[in-house]
Amino acid sequence: MRETWVVGAASNRFGKMKESGREAATRVAMEAILQSGLAPKDIGYTFVSNAFGISEHQGHIGPLINNGLGIPGVPSATIESACSSSSAALHEAFVHVAGGFLDAALVVGVEKLSHLDTLAATSYFAVGADYPFEAKNGATFPGLYATLASAYRHAYSTKDEMFGAIALKNHANAARNPHAHFQKEISMETYLGSPMIASPLRLYDCCPFSDGAAAVVVAAKEFMTRPVTEPLVIRASARAGSVTDMQDRPDLLGLPSARLAAEKAFRQAKMSPKEIDFLEVHDCFTIAEALALEDLGFFPRGTAAQESLEGVTARDAKLPVNPSGGLKAKGHPVSATGASQVVEVFEQMNGLAKGREVPKAETALTHNVGATGGSCSVHIFSRR
Amino acid sequence: MSSLPSDAPHSIAEYFHGYEEDGKIRGFRCRSCGLATATWGLACSRCGAIGLEEIDLPTRGKVLAYTILHVPGDEFLNDAPYAYVVVELDGGGRVTGWMPTVKQESDLAIGDAVRFAPSYKPGVQFVKDSEGARSG
Repeated sequence: MRETWVVGAASNRFGKMKESGREAATRVAMEAILQSGLAPKDIGYTFVSNAFGISEHQGHIGPLINNGLGIPGVPSATIESACSSSSAALHEAFVHVAGGFLDAALVVGVEKLSHLDTLAATSYFAVGADYPFEAKNGATFPGLYATLASAYRHAYSTKDEMFGAIALKNHANAARNPHAHFQKEISMETYLGSPMIASPLRLYDCCPFSDGAAAVVVAAKEFMTRPVTEPLVIRASARAGSVTDMQDRPDLLGLPSARLAAEKAFRQAKMSPKEIDFLEVHDCFTIAEALALEDLGFFPRGTAAQESLEGVTARDAKLPVNPSGGLKAKGHPVSATGASQVVEVFEQMNGLAKGREVPKAETALTHNVGATGGSCSVHIFSRR
Repeated sequence: MSSLPSDAPHSIAEYFHGYEEDGKIRGFRCRSCGLATATWGLACSRCGAIGLEEIDLPTRGKVLAYTILHVPGDEFLNDAPYAYVVVELDGGGRVTGWMPTVKQESDLAIGDAVRFAPSYKPGVQFVKDSEGARSG
């Protein structure tokens, strides 16, 4: 297996895009390629994610992106794994480059949903779960995570402020991130006073519907004779699955796919959670950040929400979690999210995260979940 | 070469329409490990054994987890707020469903007894066991 690097990473500002997904994807892809010091012609394959592209009446956008990059002869494929689509695409790129089948590959994720109303967007999100068994019984995407939150609160007798602390922390981080959808801090009063969406989840427990695009360039170390950026060494690229339906899970206090992917990733990297300096985790809801930290092995079960209230996961604390603001406040353009987590790691390790630097950025982990955990990717990165 | 068992399971559509006819929740039991489930498949999601036996699942159980949905799914617009529940069935197996008559968090608690109560509305519906009449 060849040592494989991330050599370029770019994102637009999440929120509401005027342009189409295809245009935004092409723009961030060109930015990431040029930043890496490579040229579009160096790209051997484009792995693109655009789970809800059909809402823009556009499928098969890989060839359109490649055409816009001036490389129409380069192959492409769309990789879909719900909210973990672009980390699944990154995994494909890693496998091909590390395995010697490609020297350099482009990963690009994009989503545009702002042209839909809330009801339509909510319905799109629900298709990532088991549609007949869950959505047809009244579940929405927030409803499914709310069900997990109810089990967690019941098991560990948590209080609302613990989840509020996760929301406040991620908003505070996003306020310093120019890519973020929400660039404002919120107070505990605002959090507690926000309307109930799916009990116990309030509005400020939930990530927004965001438009956005992010791209990552992956290349073999031996192909990068003169790197112009500080490359991220991909120490692990692991994925796992689990039973999609809540009704078939052995317990509701975590996501089995996240636990499996984390075990694989730490084994692959020959590292332990203690050696990770900071994390970007999949906090589509505040409960999801607590579950992630426990599934990944950073905190014992039932303690992550309490630790968050105590400030352990703040940007300048012992274990910075989601210095980008996370899905919660940076935003969650479904298929761009996984790639955008890598953008944050890249910016932190390249001195580009001005005003939101973490104390130490030698190693990082990203955790990207598909829907309610039917799929999950965990990547571990380090400096050279 | 092995082939599919001859009693390949009933379809997902039958699951959602069957109970309208006879008031039963259709499900499967793994012949190998005994897992009871409503979820469609050709093999057991717990042990991987191929071939599931069709069974009628129990219609009473206890609430394992729930939420009150204030922002509903698109087919449930006129029913919000309502509860979405994961139910641990008496005698084994779990199903998910919804409870049109539960309108606020304090109306329900984890561990409450519920029973299957299908009506003309879509989905697998439950009511609290303490409720006399069927919902709808």
